[in-house]
Amino acid sequence: MASLTIKNAVKRYGSVEVLKGVDIDLQDGEFLVLLGASGCGKSTLLNMIAGLETVTEGEIMIGDRLINDVHPKDRDIAMVFQSYALYPNMTVGRNISFGLEMRGVPKVEREAAVLEVAKMLQMDHLLDRKPAQLSGGQRQRVAMGRALVRRPEVFLFDEPLSNLDAKLRLEMRTEIKRLHKRLNATMVYVTHDQIEALTLADRIAILKDGEVQQLASPAEIYDQPVNMFVAGLVGSPPMNFISSTVTRTDTGYGAEISVRANDGDQPVLLDLSDHPTDLSTHVGRKIVVGLRPEAITQSGHSTGSTTQSFACDIDVTEATGADTLCVLNWNGKEVMARVSSGYAQIIEGTMDFAVDMSRASLFDPETEMRLG
Amino acid sequence: MSEQTTFVPAQTRSAVWMRLLLWAVLIVFAIWFLLPAYVVVGTSLKELEEIRGGSLLSLPHELNFWAWKHAWSEACIGVTCTGLEPYFWNSVKMAIPAVTLSTLLGALTGYALTKWQFKGANMVFALILFGCFVPFQVVILPMAQTLGIIGITNTVYGLILVHSVYGLAFTTLFFRNYYVTIPDELVRAATIDGAGFFTIFRRIILPLSPPIIVVSVIWQFTQIWNDFLFGASFTTGGAQPIMVAMNNLVNTTTGVKQYNVDMAAALITAAPTIFVYIVAGRYFVRGLTAGSVKG
Repeated sequence: MASLTIKNAVKRYGSVEVLKGVDIDLQDGEFLVLLGASGCGKSTLLNMIAGLETVTEGEIMIGDRLINDVHPKDRDIAMVFQSYALYPNMTVGRNISFGLEMRGVPKVEREAAVLEVAKMLQMDHLLDRKPAQLSGGQRQRVAMGRALVRRPEVFLFDEPLSNLDAKLRLEMRTEIKRLHKRLNATMVYVTHDQIEALTLADRIAILKDGEVQQLASPAEIYDQPVNMFVAGLVGSPPMNFISSTVTRTDTGYGAEISVRANDGDQPVLLDLSDHPTDLSTHVGRKIVVGLRPEAITQSGHSTGSTTQSFACDIDVTEATGADTLCVLNWNGKEVMARVSSGYAQIIEGTMDFAVDMSRASLFDPETEMRLG
Repeated sequence: MSEQTTFVPAQTRSAVWMRLLLWAVLIVFAIWFLLPAYVVVGTSLKELEEIRGGSLLSLPHELNFWAWKHAWSEACIGVTCTGLEPYFWNSVKMAIPAVTLSTLLGALTGYALTKWQFKGANMVFALILFGCFVPFQVVILPMAQTLGIIGITNTVYGLILVHSVYGLAFTTLFFRNYYVTIPDELVRAATIDGAGFFTIFRRIILPLSPPIIVVSVIWQFTQIWNDFLFGASFTTGGAQPIMVAMNNLVNTTTGVKQYNVDMAAALITAAPTIFVYIVAGRYFVRGLTAGSVKG
């Protein structure tokens, strides 16, 4: 096991800059998720760690070893691909042992290692089958087995679950988490699924246009997104953005909005007093208040320190089982609120909502960056 | 609900007549196309007397294989009266290595062009593709010079080289288009597993290639076996392939024209390609369409 250090990694194809200087420092045994939309450079970065793409500028180190120009097979890494990339002409057993065979491991040891991994992944009964005879989930297991059997320093995953159906994806997600706990290996995992990122990662690196937007723990990414892009990417449904202007109040600062209630627009002053930033220089300037749906809930249920309650008209409700989502209308735009499912039946028309302003994120509408 | 209902489209009187007409047309065309084959086979089994006396279409009185035997081992080609046998083996000695070589090289080139993309790979492919459109006649002179410089004029080796080089454009095209459908991630996975260029080719790519290998082999074998121009241009006498020898056999007339021997010679000459089609033909179509149906 080893740490992984990426220093100012740049990737250019001709004049196109795909990665614009990425810095990531990964502890031994850490699980890093690279999250971003397609084309953000996350797969390119993974391929650079794997050695399948050259590094234009910067350094990639595993442990203390600079691996920029080391051949993929000598980097002590293993990779799981989105399409699994199983060798169709070989049995499951041969698929798993191929890497060992290429490294000249004697047959007896190879067979023992394959059997051990197969048992770990509960697929020892599949060893003589060809990949075509396996289901999607089984293929996924074989791909993982192929990575595991070599006991590499670093595991790389390239969207390994995106070809599976929803149920299997949940199962395999748990499996990967369990494997990580058991092996305590350094892992880098690429995905565009924010739920996967939040559930699996020790730390998440969010990429956009070849730049890391934020590198932090899932909780920090979720609660303190560094900019509006991150805030909008992580969380489902995404964070509500409410445009307003900072005003001075008796107790501190506030942001006035208009809320549709009782079939009319009512002015409401959102209390910003608790916000850690000094807003004195922002008075009179535009601001974006970011509120996650769960920060707006039925009155009496919110536990935050700066809770304020006011009535809102409910436009539409969407029951999701555990919670019910209510679409409200603030400033003429849709705002999602999350209430307990017990309220699903009774909500019609107007209801009192409690807003936990201590969980609000404030952004500068010009730069889209977080304030404080 | 156990009642089995089979779908029978309503048959009107005119539809029946249309169907009969269709059959009639098909039968007429089948006879039309099979007639030459029948004449060739029939004539090859007749005696000369019978050919001269009877009709072209009449059945042979008895199965007489004299003409076949004569064409194979006794007929005169120019001044040597050895039959087609030595030339047949010339062609075998030429076709098998040339087909193997051009197929293997085509596979390797196609693999390199698709799975190890380098700068200008598409340009290289376009240039190779251009080779498909170069007619035989254009390469004759430079090829003759090349063979002269290497010193393999008038040998089977010379023909092997010529056919391998000329066939490479086609085989590369086949393999390149087939390998494009094989996912790149296989090669990436194998690279990380520690396999190199040739190991990946041998252990992973080649085992996936039988459908396109069949296409390449049939195509190349037919081309090379049936080639007349290169054979006639670069060889003389005993080194000639069968296609040239058969031509000479037919053109060598001493007195009476032996139509039965000519026909038998033609059938002997055509037999290997027919054999290859029968053995591998069904894979041929499968291979040609493989790229389009692969999920």
